[in-house]
This record gives sequence, structure tokens and C-alpha cells, in this order.
Amino acid sequence: MSSPEVFQLAIGTPITCHAFNKDRTQVAVSPNNNDVEIYQKGKTGGWELLHTLAKHDKLVTSIDWAPNTNRLVTCSQDRNAYVWDWDASQSKWEPNLCLLRINRAATFVQWSPKENKFAVASGARLISVCYFEEENNWWVSKHIKKPIRSTITSVAWHPDNILLAAGSTDMKARVFSAYIKGVDSPKAYPLWGEKFPFNTLCGEFGSEGGGWVHSVAFSPSGDYVAWASHDSTIMIAHGRDNPAIQIPFGGLPLVSLIFASETSIVGVGHDCTPFLFVLRGQQWEVIGKLDQGTKKAASSSSAFKMFQQMDSRAQQQNPEVELNTTHQNTITCVRPYAGTPENVTKFSTSGVDGKLVIWDLLASGMAGLKI
Amino acid sequence: MLIDLHPANRILDETLRERFNGSAEKLVMKVADFDGVSYKLSTPESKTVLHISMSIACYSQLREYGAEDVLKREYGDLVESSPEDGFDVTLRIDLENLPEDKESLIRKISYLKRNALAAPFERAFKSQLEGNESELMTIQYRPDEAFYIKAQHDRVTVIFSTVFSEETDRIFGKVFLQEFVDARRSPATQNAPQVLYSAREPPMELRGIPGVHESENIGYVTFVLFPRHFTGPAAEGCISRIQLFRDYLHYHIKASKAYMHSRLRVRVDSFLKVLNRAKPENPDAQKEKKTARFVSLSVLAIALFCLGFVHELTLVRSSCQWKNIQAIMI
Amino acid sequence: MKRTACCDVLQLQAQPAIPPFSSSTIIRQAPTPPPTTEKNDPPAPTRSHGPRTRTHIMSNTLRPYLSAVRSTVTAALCLENFSSQVVERHNKPEIEARATPEVLLTPVTISRNENERVLIEASVNSIRVSISIKQADEIERILCHKFTRFLMMRAENFFILRRKPVPGYDISFLITNTHTETMYKHKLVDFVIQFMEEVDKEISEMKLCLNARARIVAESFLQQF
Repeated sequence: MSSPEVFQLAIGTPITCHAFNKDRTQVAVSPNNNDVEIYQKGKTGGWELLHTLAKHDKLVTSIDWAPNTNRLVTCSQDRNAYVWDWDASQSKWEPNLCLLRINRAATFVQWSPKENKFAVASGARLISVCYFEEENNWWVSKHIKKPIRSTITSVAWHPDNILLAAGSTDMKARVFSAYIKGVDSPKAYPLWGEKFPFNTLCGEFGSEGGGWVHSVAFSPSGDYVAWASHDSTIMIAHGRDNPAIQIPFGGLPLVSLIFASETSIVGVGHDCTPFLFVLRGQQWEVIGKLDQGTKKAASSSSAFKMFQQMDSRAQQQNPEVELNTTHQNTITCVRPYAGTPENVTKFSTSGVDGKLVIWDLLASGMAGLKI
Repeated sequence: MLIDLHPANRILDETLRERFNGSAEKLVMKVADFDGVSYKLSTPESKTVLHISMSIACYSQLREYGAEDVLKREYGDLVESSPEDGFDVTLRIDLENLPEDKESLIRKISYLKRNALAAPFERAFKSQLEGNESELMTIQYRPDEAFYIKAQHDRVTVIFSTVFSEETDRIFGKVFLQEFVDARRSPATQNAPQVLYSAREPPMELRGIPGVHESENIGYVTFVLFPRHFTGPAAEGCISRIQLFRDYLHYHIKASKAYMHSRLRVRVDSFLKVLNRAKPENPDAQKEKKTARFVSLSVLAIALFCLGFVHELTLVRSSCQWKNIQAIMI
Repeated sequence: MKRTACCDVLQLQAQPAIPPFSSSTIIRQAPTPPPTTEKNDPPAPTRSHGPRTRTHIMSNTLRPYLSAVRSTVTAALCLENFSSQVVERHNKPEIEARATPEVLLTPVTISRNENERVLIEASVNSIRVSISIKQADEIERILCHKFTRFLMMRAENFFILRRKPVPGYDISFLITNTHTETMYKHKLVDFVIQFMEEVDKEISEMKLCLNARARIVAESFLQQF
């Protein structure tokens, strides 16, 4: 098993979220404050700080990097979202404010697959679907409101650019139509409904136990929608009318998940390790933790260290301070890193411990399968 | 261990010893003792004539019970007929005319308070030994607290009322007093007087006495003294000890509280250290911290460790210890 | 036992507490031998009945109690940064604000007996752990009160300590997402558990000390007659 690549981008500071550019040479992260930092992959393999985008005045909650148009979108608890364009002549990022028209924190943002729209989830119990208005040269938004009753924590676009899945703290996952006239062309998905005017509810799912929905994801085909809920389960729904399947996995809740292929899901969360779920035949199964953890050798400590430990912690050394897993605290974000949407081979995670980790799914997944 | 209180006043004792053996100097000095008693040492006439005055709140009562006779007996001509203004008793000592046995004079004078308070005891003991019952003598020795002495046909009863100013004192006091009651069971204290304790209600003997009241934070302690406790030479020690009972009790309550406090301090410190374990170590910050001061501290810590003062480590940072450590190092 | 005189008020005030009694004193003074819970392990005749051995004998119910608290607190500590959906641009502990019912979880009470229990109230971005400490009698009650007040006066050093306990409990911790972001989550849980273990121990040790001291004080006074 090849060990994952670990980068400690921030020390003692959580990484709220991260997003890579198309060729994976740059990564945008938020170090749990109002800045967005862009790192460039250095020649030696480490990451060097390239730009700091300081425009928000409260915690940046989410970042998304459109691979083809090379645009960044960021949103924050200050109720705003900015689209950042790369100005090659001045070699800096130009912010463009979007008219979200929300009065609570923005919690999550994602570009649509065609990169002509993005959706911003918010604490105002609505989703702003933003698109570019050529005549005004301005990003404007339309609101998806009904029947959302609490903060939206996460959204996910259907691969066809029209449907949008959303999870919220009212313990429901929903699929909406985010069809914008003049931007999208109509399409038909028998699985999710007949007609799709804007704000059509194409599915509403809850689980028996009930738990805040932390993350939603569409499968590469768009037939399945999966979400992670706070009752330590993931749920998978196949179309509007079929009952959702619940998969308990016996751990702490997941907070972020992606489809690694049509038949596999990677989820991360409070257990500090990624979980792998696989569709075998007709049955979704928990394969288990991708990071089994290795016993760390107790580092030899100097006399200075020993006295310092005695002074501040009343113990000479503490080998069990660290967890055995790669991440030392909750993983908050998982994204595909390499491969195609239908076959993700590597994925990246970032977490509260300030680490950015790139995992080889095949290597670690195979290890998991054996167990 | 500092367990017992001594009936002599230590400051009086030391000052007099210095005076008696040194050269004559002018002096004005005020000294405090338990129960609001205060002394004034002065040389108003000349450097060689020392006046020692004592004020004691309940002197009018003591006089009634024969305090003047006791003092006369103890101090003889040293007692001035009219005490200094604001004081109840004044002794006049001519430093040029000291007796041969200076030590016994020093001892006598440092027992001034004890002797004044001894009067009602002596009276009660005497009348009991003569087989008479005495009246109930009340000595209001503190604003809210008094002791009562009564001789009966076969015993002398001494009852203390004592006020606990706060809840903690009251509960600690209860623990202590309960031990006084129970301690007689152990063989070493077989000869001790019987101790009774009631937490709120005054005992039967005190019913109807003015100034005796029931309250949540008052305790009544009764000592039952039999002739064996106060016949002959036993009487003196018995009086000294019983007098100081209230101070002894409260002194130990306060000391217990102080001990609990220091213990809590240590425990809170140790909890903080447990919480510190939750903080991730920051390799960069650690380098910055490694300043000269910190290094010197840790060197000291190592030195202490070698000396076997492991438990002192936690105190390295507290300033008073810091001085001690510096002293040790120098 | 060496006795020294201490007579005047000035000296009394300058005099700190009597140094802690040696453990041998406590052992001798321990009012009752500790309850032995392991049936298969009769106490050896040489076993001293001091507090040292007492700490090793974990009562049968303490272990499951603590492990229940540990798992519940661990599960409850899955916090995230959650901005208020009631007040614009605010971010506050939802468990304290209580303005958004759907982000509060059902509170859990774990009881060991009627006196010792833990209330764990969880929400999306903060949890409150309130502990009711065993107080068998007046002395334990006052010691517990002293102890918790002493701690809460130092709440700013303890970060996660609430300055006031939740009504009905003796001490409360408020852990927010900021705490779990800056500290190891599993070590915070360890702290809570260790706190619960040691508070009981500390209070009973203090009580023993007080009793031992009272006994010595009384005996030393009465022995002189």
C-alpha cells in the first residue's frame, strides 16, 4: 500500500476547504479565516504560498475552482460570494461580487458542470443559483426557497447542469431544478420528473433516524444521489420514486462525500479517516476505513522536551497524544484529485488538523477490500 | 507541628526579655492578643520605668468575679491602682529594680490575659471544692461569644458559645467538635473532661440566661470538669487550656481552610495540565519560546530535578518559590 | 509529636496551614476501611487501608458509567462551524442561544445513581457537559462547592469551563467548535473523564484529611488533662 501524500499547509489552524485547479498545480485553501490562500506546487514537491485573496470579512466557508474557465468562486459567512478571474496581465486575481441577495451566512458553493452557473447554499434557508448576465456584466442570482426550512449545508450539481441536490439541517436531502431560461436548454430525465421549471422539487428524502445532512453528491451518471447525515449513515436515492437506501457504517458522522465511480463512494468526517462504500451487485456495502492507521513510533525526546512536558502537562512524554490515522482531527473536505468522474483514482482531503492529503484510491482501496 | 496554642503572649515575652537584659530605651508599643485583647507597652515616666497596660472587653465582669484579687496575688505591687486611660489593668515595672528571677517575672507578665480570665475559674473551682454551688458566671469575652461557668455540687461546668461566621466554618467546626466529643473514647484521653456539643440550641443550663440565643451558626460546647481536673496543681493547666479552647478551635478551622485552599490550588493546576495535553504542539512556536529566560528556567529545573526536588517543579514559576530557588542556586 | 508554641494573633495570621498530614496518619485515622468490590480478591491482611489503595479499587459501577460518558461525549463532539441563521453575521454556540430548535440534539443524561449524573446537551456547533458530583453529606457538599467555585473563578484559563453551572448541576463545560478546532478532540474527552474521576477522589481525600486533622487536634487538646 502506497502511503498517502501529506502536506501540512497550516499548523494549528484548520483548513476549512480546499480546491485544486485543473492541472493540480495550484490549490486554494481557506485557513479558517476570511482569507483565501493559493498555493503553487513547488519543484521539491511542497506547496508555496502564491496569492492571498483578502476580500471577505468573515470566515470563508467554501471554495470551488472551475477547471476549464479557471475561475474561482468563494463564499463566506459575511453573506457574500466572489467570482475571481485570473488577470494574466497584472498577474493577480480580480474579484467580482455576486448579487446573492441573502441576509445570512453563505455556507457552500459549487460550479455547475458547464461552469456557466454556480449554486450558493446559505443560512437564509435558500439556495442562490447564480449565472452571468451579459448585458449588465454581472453575476446575478435566482432563489430556490421552497420547501427548505433550515440552513443549507451542501449542494451538488447533476452532471447535466440542470438538477441540483441540496442537503440541509432540517434533516432532508432534496433535488431541485435549477433551470435558468436563456442559459440552459431543456432536457428530460424520466428518473427525476417530467418538466423542470426553476425551483421544481424533484425529490425530497429524509431518514428514519433523522440527522442533519452534511454533504450531498450525484453519481457520475446522475442516477443516484447520495448524502451523509449526522446519524452516522449515508443514504443513497435512485430517482424520485424509489425509496432511499440507508447504509449505517458504525462510526462518527461523515461530513463530506464524493462518488469515486458509479459504484463507489468515498466519505470523510469526524473519524479522521476516509470511508469507502461500494455497490456490489444490488447491494451497497461498507468496505471500511481507507486509513487503517499505523502505530506511530514514540519519538525520542530530549531532556528539554521532557522537562517542558512535565511543566506544562505533568507527564514526561505522551506517545498517545497523536491518533494513529493520517489526519489528526475531523476531515472536512474531500475532492477528486486524479482520474475521470467515472473512475477517480486519487482523491484529496483536508481537515481541521491543517493537513492536505492526497490518497491513492486504488492502493488504499484495495487494502481495504482485502480486509 | 503547630498544634497547640500557648497561653503566654509571645510578643510580650520577647519584648520583656529584650528590655530586661538590654539597655533602657524609650518605647511605645501596641500588641494584640486573642479575643480583642490589646496591650500597650510604654515608658511615660522615664526610660527605665515600663508600663504594661491591657484592655480586655469583659473586664467589668471579670472584676465582679474577683479578677482584681487574682491580679494582686500574681503581680503584687506591680499593679497600678488607677489603670491607664482606655485600659483596664496597668502594671508598672521599674527596670532598675528588677528581681533576681527575671524569667519568672517575664513569664508572669506574659500570662497577664490568662490570669485575668482565670478569676471566674478559680472562684468556681474553689466553691466546688468547698462543696458549694456557685452562681452562673457569664464572661462575654467577645462581642457575640461568651463562656459560662457554674460550680455544682459534684462538678464544674464550663460552656462556650461560639459563632461561626460562615457556612464553611460552621461545617468544619462541626467536624472538629464532633471529634472532641468522640476523642474521649481513645485510651490516651481517658482522663479528659467530658465534652458535649450542641449545634444550635443552648444546653439546659443556659436556658433563660440573657444574651443566650438560638441561631443556625452558633455552637455550644460544654466541658464537664470533675474535682480531679482542678485539684491542686492540675488547676493551673486546666484553666489555661480551657480558656484558649475557642481560639484553638478557630485557629484549626482557619488552618484547615488554608490547607484546603492550597490543595485546591495544586489540583486546579494539575487539571490545567491535563487540559494542556489537548493542545497540539506547534513546532514553530516552540522555537520562539526557547528564549534565554526559558532555557535558564529549564536549566534550573534540571538542577532541581537532580537535587530530588521533583515536586517543586510545578512551583518553579510562582514568584516566592522563584526567590527561594534563586537563593538555593546562589 | 513535637509541639511548638504559637500564641499571638500576628503570628497566627502569618502562619500558613499545617503541612499535609503524612499518609500514614491518614491510614491510621481512616474511619472505615474502603469497600472491597472484587469478590474473588479478599483483602490481604497486610493491605493498608489508605487512600492510595482506595484509588485502585474502582467501584463496579464507575467503569461503565465513565465509559458511557466517554462514548456519548465523543459522539456529541462532532461539531462544525455554524453561523447563526437567526441573527445576521453572528456565530454563537447554538446550545446556549437555543434560537434554532432543529440544530439542537436531544439531551442525554447518564446517571450512576441519583446523586451522580452527567447531562450532555449537544448542538451543531457546541456541546454542554454538566456534571453533578457526589455529595454524601454536609462536608462533601461544602468541599464540592468550594472546589467548583474555585475552578469556575479560573474559567478563562480552562477555556472549556462554563462560568456558571447549568441549574441542577455542580459544574458545566461548554465546548464549541473553536475548541475542537484548536485542540485535540480525543484529549478534550480525556480531560472531561479525568476530571470526573479526580473530583470525587479529591473531595473524599480532602474529607479524610479534615477528619484526620480534627481527630489529632481534639486528641492533642484533651490528652493534656
